[in-house]
This record gives sequence, structure tokens and C-alpha cells, in this order.
Amino acid sequence: MMSSIMRESHIMKIHYLTALVAVGFVIIHIMIRFTHGSFANSLEFESVIANYKSIPYAVVLEAMLILISVHGFNGLRIILLELKQGNAYERAVTYGCLAAMIALIAYGSRTIIMASMGMVEA
Amino acid sequence: MDKDRKEGIKGMANPGRYGIERVAYWLMRITGLGLLFYFIGHIYETSSLLDGKAAWNSMLELTQTTEGHIFLTLVIGMCVFHTGNGIRLMIAQAGFGFGKPRRPDYPYTPSSLNMKNKLCIYVSIGLAALAMMYGLGVMYDV
Repeated sequence: MMSSIMRESHIMKIHYLTALVAVGFVIIHIMIRFTHGSFANSLEFESVIANYKSIPYAVVLEAMLILISVHGFNGLRIILLELKQGNAYERAVTYGCLAAMIALIAYGSRTIIMASMGMVEA
Repeated sequence: MDKDRKEGIKGMANPGRYGIERVAYWLMRITGLGLLFYFIGHIYETSSLLDGKAAWNSMLELTQTTEGHIFLTLVIGMCVFHTGNGIRLMIAQAGFGFGKPRRPDYPYTPSSLNMKNKLCIYVSIGLAALAMMYGLGVMYDV
């Protein structure tokens, strides 16, 4: 159970903190779209690659990936624990959400690192 | 009374019985799950960037449709409501906006379910609707 690793009150503080910081990063992420003129222009391949090659923006994307993954999968864990309780179930939900969170962060980080290093097929 | 007890989890989940607070409870969970699924999809969608321009453009075509724009508009609405209501919940959990503790007298109206909290829920819904309209305008270059 997560409670054996960390107190639920601490997990909730992390849940709230990740939400507040993520809101700031999401605002930056959306504002960057507007620097390209129109919404359609901002989604052009060259524009998106240029975004990833900017190191500060790549750091923002990585931070956003981690914060939203932690917040999202902890939220899913809370919803699932509201529906049903029990040691085995709670352990399965907690470790399942933790594994999914790590997998999503790893997959998203792969995209950010490879795109920022220019490892993109021509 | 017996009927109430027989309802079980359906009674707890009924959004029509306990007012806007129960509606907010369900909207918070539904929007949270919706945003998590969108986020997973968004991570997968952006990974197509690594396969080159053609792969990126074909993935983008899926979202540049009327259905895609409607979906993105819903995502904007979910995001704004989840943020607004989430901030309300954080403030409430910190102990603000609950009113003062008092003796429970008939008709036992809980002071925690007050107009301040109700207003915050309605404002969150209103802001979500405004953001959805603005998002539609941006997507259609209006």
C-alpha cells in the first residue's frame, strides 16, 4: 500500500502542489502556441521541432510531463480506492498506477529527448 | 427510508439528490479521467513527430476535423472546470469558506454547503463554457 511508503496527507500535498505548478506550465505551453501566429501555424512540423530544440522549453515540457503524470495517476488511484477497499486491491491499484505513471513518463521523455537532440526521421 | 437504504451506491451516486455539490463531485472525477486519457493520447500523438513530417501530418489530420475540434473544445472545458473546482477544493481543505461551527439544529443544514462554495462551482462551470467558446474561435480562426 502507498500508505506504507508515504502518509496519505503527504500524498495529498503532492497532489495539490503538482496541480498548482502544472497549471503554470500549461499556461506557458498554451502561450507558446500563440507566438507562432495562428493555431494551425504553431502545429507545423518545423515549428514543433524548433520548440523541442529550445532547451528551456524542452525542460518545461519534461516538467509538465512529470507533474501531470504524477497528478493524473494519483487522481486515478484515489478514484479507484473510493470505489472499493481491501489490502490486495489497494496494493494492486497503487502499484498499477505507479507502474503506468513511470511507463508514461519514460515514453514521453523519449520523445522529448530524441526530438530535442534532432533524432527525427527525415 | 427502506427505499433509500436499498439504493446503495446508486443512491450515493445520484447527482440529482444532493444539489450542485454532488454534481461538482461527479464532474471533478469525470473531467479528471477525461483529462488523463487525453494526456495519454497527447503523449502518443506527439511521439509521431519522431517518425518524420509525413507521420506528423497524418496524425495531425485526425485532429484537424470537426470531430477533432469538438473533442479539443471538450478538453478545454474539462481542463478549466477541473482547475477552477480543484482550487475551490484546495481552499476548502485548508479550512476556509466553511462558516463557523454551530449546534446542529433543525433543519440541519450543513454550514459547509454554503453559497460561497456553490458560487465557486457555478463560476467554474461558467469559466469552462467561456474558455470552450474562445477555444472554438481560435481553432476556426474566427
